[in-house]
Amino acid sequence: MTGSPIVSAEGVVKRFGLLEVLKGVSLDVQPGETVCIIGPSGSGKTTFIRCINHLEKIDGGRIEVNGHLIGYREKNGKLVEDSEVNIARQRVEIGMVFQRFNLFPHMTALENVIEAPLRVRKLSKELAVKEGEALLDRVGLADKRDVYPGKLSGGQQQRVAIARALAMKPALMLFDEPTSALDPETIGEVLEVMKELVAVGMTMIVVTHEMGFAREAADRVVMMDEGLVIEEGTPEHFFTRPDHERTQQFLSKIL
Amino acid sequence: MLAAFEWHIFWERIFHPDHVFAQALWRTIYIAVLAQFFGVVFGLVSALMRRSTFLPLRILGGLYVLIVRGTPVIVQIFFIYFGANLFLGFDLFPRTVDLGLFSLSGAVVAGIVALSINEGAYMSEIIRAGIESVDRGQMEAARSLGMPPRLGMRRIVLPQAARVIVPPLGNEFNNMLKTTSLLAFIGVYELFLDADVHYSSTFKPSEYFAAVAFWYLVLTIVWSVIQAWIEGRLAASERGDRLSFLERVREAWAPVPGRLWSRAR
Ligand SMILES: Nc1ncnc2c1ncn2[C@@H]1O[C@H](COP(=O)(O)OP(=O)(O)OP(=O)(O)O)[C@@H](O)[C@H]1O
Ligand SMILES: [Mg+2]
Repeated sequence: MTGSPIVSAEGVVKRFGLLEVLKGVSLDVQPGETVCIIGPSGSGKTTFIRCINHLEKIDGGRIEVNGHLIGYREKNGKLVEDSEVNIARQRVEIGMVFQRFNLFPHMTALENVIEAPLRVRKLSKELAVKEGEALLDRVGLADKRDVYPGKLSGGQQQRVAIARALAMKPALMLFDEPTSALDPETIGEVLEVMKELVAVGMTMIVVTHEMGFAREAADRVVMMDEGLVIEEGTPEHFFTRPDHERTQQFLSKIL
Repeated sequence: MLAAFEWHIFWERIFHPDHVFAQALWRTIYIAVLAQFFGVVFGLVSALMRRSTFLPLRILGGLYVLIVRGTPVIVQIFFIYFGANLFLGFDLFPRTVDLGLFSLSGAVVAGIVALSINEGAYMSEIIRAGIESVDRGQMEAARSLGMPPRLGMRRIVLPQAARVIVPPLGNEFNNMLKTTSLLAFIGVYELFLDADVHYSSTFKPSEYFAAVAFWYLVLTIVWSVIQAWIEGRLAASERGDRLSFLERVREAWAPVPGRLWSRAR
């Protein structure tokens, strides 16, 4: 794999007070690639992908998305934190889907989807609505456009959240355990939408415990443990002959 | 010997109020509305200051709330009306302020300023609690969509905080309607001063003060009806908790929490 990666993380260190949660995480993601991050609870998966769109500051290393340094500017060889307004601009190309959806409860499904295109991309109302409706259609919720999130099932809410993130036309999509807050019967519909994104070549980083999805959809699986990437490889490698003992233990527990 | 309550005076104040009274009533209302409005503005600004990442702003916002909530409102009114002019060396509040449509006396302006500043500190606490009641994930979702902090605050957080802010805001305004009476002490001719003037010239305290109490009661009851309507509208956008307009009025006025007159639901 050559060419310039969409994500290039180098030695990312993150501390919460004295607790070092990320101890030098490096990861490159190529355009169109789907990377699944797996690992035990508390290993730093959520923290790592939150660093990628700078919802968390980092204490060491660097992260580039699409060639842009995220969250910081280089000044005399040192990194200084960028302004929130500049960071906001960078986040436009990074979509994020949260474990608990975080839909805006005071807005309908369509309003959730068009809010940022209207106010950040500054689209006209007609165009934003047209795009928003197309996106809701794409996630199978065209008929729910005027429904408030409180009236949607978990799976439907998560699909709206995916549509909302896609509405900013991101170059990269981050998913943090998108199905782990869902009832089992609605997990499938969300995974279907995600597989379609894989099929159209979206670049994605997916933190997940859904090994079926990882096996089927991932180009690469990354195992994190205690703030480090301890193993990475193809799904085939992972699910047949993982090298690392911790990986074997983890997979045997989860499969 | 007890003086008999002269009912005709009382009824006259209620059914045939004079022109001076009408002006005093109007003054009470617009002072309360303006002071509440600016109180909300000050409260919002200081609540946001206290959430700033910039330490001096946080300190300034905190000091404002600390000082205002820690001192009597009457002292603040006197300080601003009598103190500010001396303090600044010029007349901050001249005798009349001409606003084209209508002119305000200096005392009225000083009163509105003092009550706004006072109210702002209380609104600051209410607005801060409202903002904090909104799930952190909401702002994070806004940020992840590329919304700058201000936009996220305005479009995502504050509308949700409003549901928490509006009920106590209504109670604040109820208080404000009554607190305006303190402005009588700096010579603002509002409802209470009007009653006081009649009392001084007739020595009939019970009749005039009972009558003015009645008028304050009218104001607060009218307000509680408006408040019930507003809260009903807000609740209509939520699900589950949908009290009808009448139920809200009843709830606001039920003497005991059990909602005395409301039908079983
Ligand atoms: N805001 C925070 N403040 C302090 N500690 C935190 C914070 N967020 C996360 N942590 C800690 O960082 C560590 C890594 O957390 P993280 O949420 O990244 O793990 P995870 O791999 O996503 O786990 P899970 O599978 O349970 O979601 C944990 O020990 C957690 O307690
Ligand atoms: Mg997590």
